[in-house]
Amino acid sequence: MRALRTLGAALTVCAAAWLTAAAPAAADGKDGTDGKSGTEAPTEAGTGFRTATEIEPGQRATATASTGDYLYWVFPAAAGQVPKVEAELKLPDVSSRHGSATWQLDVYDGLRRHQPCASGTPTRRAAQRDQTVTVSCTLRQVRSWSERWANDPLQGAYYVRLTVVDLPAQDLGLPIDAEVEASVRDAGGAHADGGDVTPLNPVLRAGTAPGTAPGTDAEPPDDDTASDSADDKGGKVPHAVAEPEDGWGSGWWSDRWVWTVIGAALAALAGVGGYTLTRGPRAPGRPPIGPGSDI
Amino acid sequence: MIIKKRLATGALGLLAALACGLISPTAAMAGEPASDSPKVELVLDVSGSMRARDVDGDTRMAAAKQAFNEVLDATPEEVRLGIRTLGANYPGKDRKAGCQDSERLYPVGQVDRTEAKAAVATLRPTGWTPIGLALRGASKDLSGGEGTRRIVLITDGEDSCGLPDPCDVARELAAQGTHLVVDTLGLTLDRKVREQLSCIAEATGGTYTAIQHRDQLSSRIKQLVRRSADTPVETPTPVRGAAECAKAPYLGSGLYSDREGFGEHRWYRMRVAPGQELRASASVAVDRSVDPDYGVLVRAVTPGGRELVRGSEAGSGRTDVISSGLRYPIADVDDDEDKTARTVCLELSQSFSAPASVKRAPGLPVEFAVDVVGNDDPPADLAAFGLGRGWVLLGVLTVGGLLVGLLWGWLARWRVTVWRSN
Repeated sequence: MRALRTLGAALTVCAAAWLTAAAPAAADGKDGTDGKSGTEAPTEAGTGFRTATEIEPGQRATATASTGDYLYWVFPAAAGQVPKVEAELKLPDVSSRHGSATWQLDVYDGLRRHQPCASGTPTRRAAQRDQTVTVSCTLRQVRSWSERWANDPLQGAYYVRLTVVDLPAQDLGLPIDAEVEASVRDAGGAHADGGDVTPLNPVLRAGTAPGTAPGTDAEPPDDDTASDSADDKGGKVPHAVAEPEDGWGSGWWSDRWVWTVIGAALAALAGVGGYTLTRGPRAPGRPPIGPGSDI
Repeated sequence: MIIKKRLATGALGLLAALACGLISPTAAMAGEPASDSPKVELVLDVSGSMRARDVDGDTRMAAAKQAFNEVLDATPEEVRLGIRTLGANYPGKDRKAGCQDSERLYPVGQVDRTEAKAAVATLRPTGWTPIGLALRGASKDLSGGEGTRRIVLITDGEDSCGLPDPCDVARELAAQGTHLVVDTLGLTLDRKVREQLSCIAEATGGTYTAIQHRDQLSSRIKQLVRRSADTPVETPTPVRGAAECAKAPYLGSGLYSDREGFGEHRWYRMRVAPGQELRASASVAVDRSVDPDYGVLVRAVTPGGRELVRGSEAGSGRTDVISSGLRYPIADVDDDEDKTARTVCLELSQSFSAPASVKRAPGLPVEFAVDVVGNDDPPADLAAFGLGRGWVLLGVLTVGGLLVGLLWGWLARWRVTVWRSN
């Protein structure tokens, strides 16, 4: 017992030494650009799905970039929420531009499927004299389950891509400032779903070496279940986004409980009322008065 | 007994301390940086045209030198940085000699700031602009190790040597599977420079920036160096899809990269057991000029050829990537049924096309993200826990309750009557 305790203590000291040694290095490199490390809003954007910068809903992330860059962010959305993304761009100096340009905001789900915007202005044309341009996109409600053939938004990571899609060639490479904010709104009990799909939160790690021989059938599934169980053990595998505080699901609570319980109470009351109406007044010791008593 | 225990305690403590020392990062970080630390090479054009005085009233060379000094001061510890020049040595007119002029000024490694700054200070605008050659040289400088590689090319002129075409060189380097990104910074707003530099950037998934001010130059290089430190080290595993499912490679879960030519189809295989869900996303990147309309299609197919599910996407206009994905859950089976994993074939095809002048090889870069996760059965009811909601529900329940009450009351009364009459 004591031996184990000593071992434990030694390992704790070791881990602490490790952390303090590793922390400054990590802090140097990250520079507050990683959404996972703190609540400070990121000041950089990613350049692709794999390198997308994680943002939390409600955070206002900023990035400096060049016209023509593709800027990527990623945020989590849980079932029952309606995600909305807004982006504001500060365009290059009016004097250095040569014409109007079209800016576009695209949202992709965790499977990199393009998600349509239910409302908002995802594409906007900025005239040459414009200083800023604002684009926005509100998705459909995130479902907790869908048919495999459907393109419904499911809980998990959502990628945001911001870029210019049409511009005068001379304006390529000029500096811009971008601000982006993702927010989520609860859809309410009217849209509370059943079912549960493992969140569409992509794994960020290199694939295992591809096997070519069909004879080695046993191995690939082993690897897969390994990734699965590692997920269950507490997420050792790096994912695109961290799980939201309240979890991926909409939880067990919805106002459907209130409606159903009120319905049950009303049914009970109506039942008692109906009973007293036809049963007639109870008069112990006397025959009941009513049409039945004549017989 | 007690002595034995003490001995064991001591031994375990010692063991833990040893292990601690062995795996401690301080030991590893004191000397050489880890083999997966990111590498960046700054490639600076020192051709004669850098003498032009048009960056905030200063020469382009002076602006670049100042920016380099600031960048060297701000380079994160874990980044291994190198510097290469082009056109720094040969001042003559001979094209052949001028086009071989690219030199490694500072080797890729942990930066000694004073040494690197001293080396930069000696540079004088001199010769030609062999960009293609410099890119090849920089790629060699960066070879080895597992980390990300980035070339930051700073130039004020187009390639004055013609061959090799720097854009083709960049695409070639990117296709070598070394995950090399080239970011370009142009010091002029000249059309040809812009076209060439944006082509180089596009070919490797990098960025192009047009520089007009001095502070813009240093802040952009700093941002790019920092970005290479932030980029995740996990680079996709290269894989080569087959032309048919029967010969396709088996993938595990994770990220894979491949190249797919125009009009090509690529097949891969996955093993999925009942109770699991297959997830696959594919994105095809655009690394050259392509025709404006394009699409991508990912299909999950049984080895027999029956389509299970598909994901597709089409688009038009300027883009860096087109992507789609699919999910294929296999319902769990009872214990006595066959629980062995099944083979699912994945087919990737894209409908990019390019003008005849565009080179076809290597194929377009493909990134595959596949995963197998747990699968829950479809819900018994689409509403949460099968609960109801709304005024109609309340009305129906109330009327239903009332009817039952009336019936029950009538029954009770009828029973009493029957009992009395007996």
